[in-house]
Amino acid sequence: MIIPLDVDNFAGSLRIMTHFVLRSEDPKLFLPIRAIVDTGSPLTLIGPADIARMRVSKFQLNSKLEGRPQPVSVGGGQISTKILKNAKIKFGNGFETELDVDFPVKNEEKSVQPSLLGMNFLLETKSKLFFDGKNHIAHLEIED
Amino acid sequence: MKRQEVTSYKMVDQELELLKKFEEDSGWFNKNIDKLRKENFTGKFVAIKNEKPIASGENVDIVIKSLEKLKENPSYIFIEFVYPKGHILIL
Repeated sequence: MIIPLDVDNFAGSLRIMTHFVLRSEDPKLFLPIRAIVDTGSPLTLIGPADIARMRVSKFQLNSKLEGRPQPVSVGGGQISTKILKNAKIKFGNGFETELDVDFPVKNEEKSVQPSLLGMNFLLETKSKLFFDGKNHIAHLEIED
Repeated sequence: MKRQEVTSYKMVDQELELLKKFEEDSGWFNKNIDKLRKENFTGKFVAIKNEKPIASGENVDIVIKSLEKLKENPSYIFIEFVYPKGHILIL
């Protein structure tokens, strides 16, 4: 199965971008997201602006996420994240998978950190990433 | 086809339709980033719906409040920060 990706200029550089729907039953979430496909990030991270769009209270979100806040270094500083286990991620071609997703819970207020689709997604789905920067073409190939 | 299956298919269709619109607004944002900068959105979060900016603010909470006033659900609206031209974000 092929998941087409976008190759766009974003924040000073050519990036591989994707769009997906993030869903969860508890906490109840349904959110389309644009994320950078980031092979330099070990984890999939939802950016603070996307979390704000969910309109879930910080207290409620914090209580539903797992683990203690873990420090994560991102561009421009350090934030702390907690994990939403087995969140559902669905792409425009219908491909859906479950994935642990990190949510910033501390020191994120002033961050403009974008959402990232990280290596955990690529490894768990056994994706092959194709990138042709010159022609602005990229896709993920996932074995059926 | 059972009623439950029909409902399920409709939900899937709606989800994908919502994602498609979100992607279109995201694409419009990328294509029109210079135009948005000229219109003084630099350094602000901007909300795009149907390929038009409908709200903006220096932080995302301001944008969300504006969207709520417009009776829009922020969850379904594309919101992005307009970085200054030449700004490089290293992840």
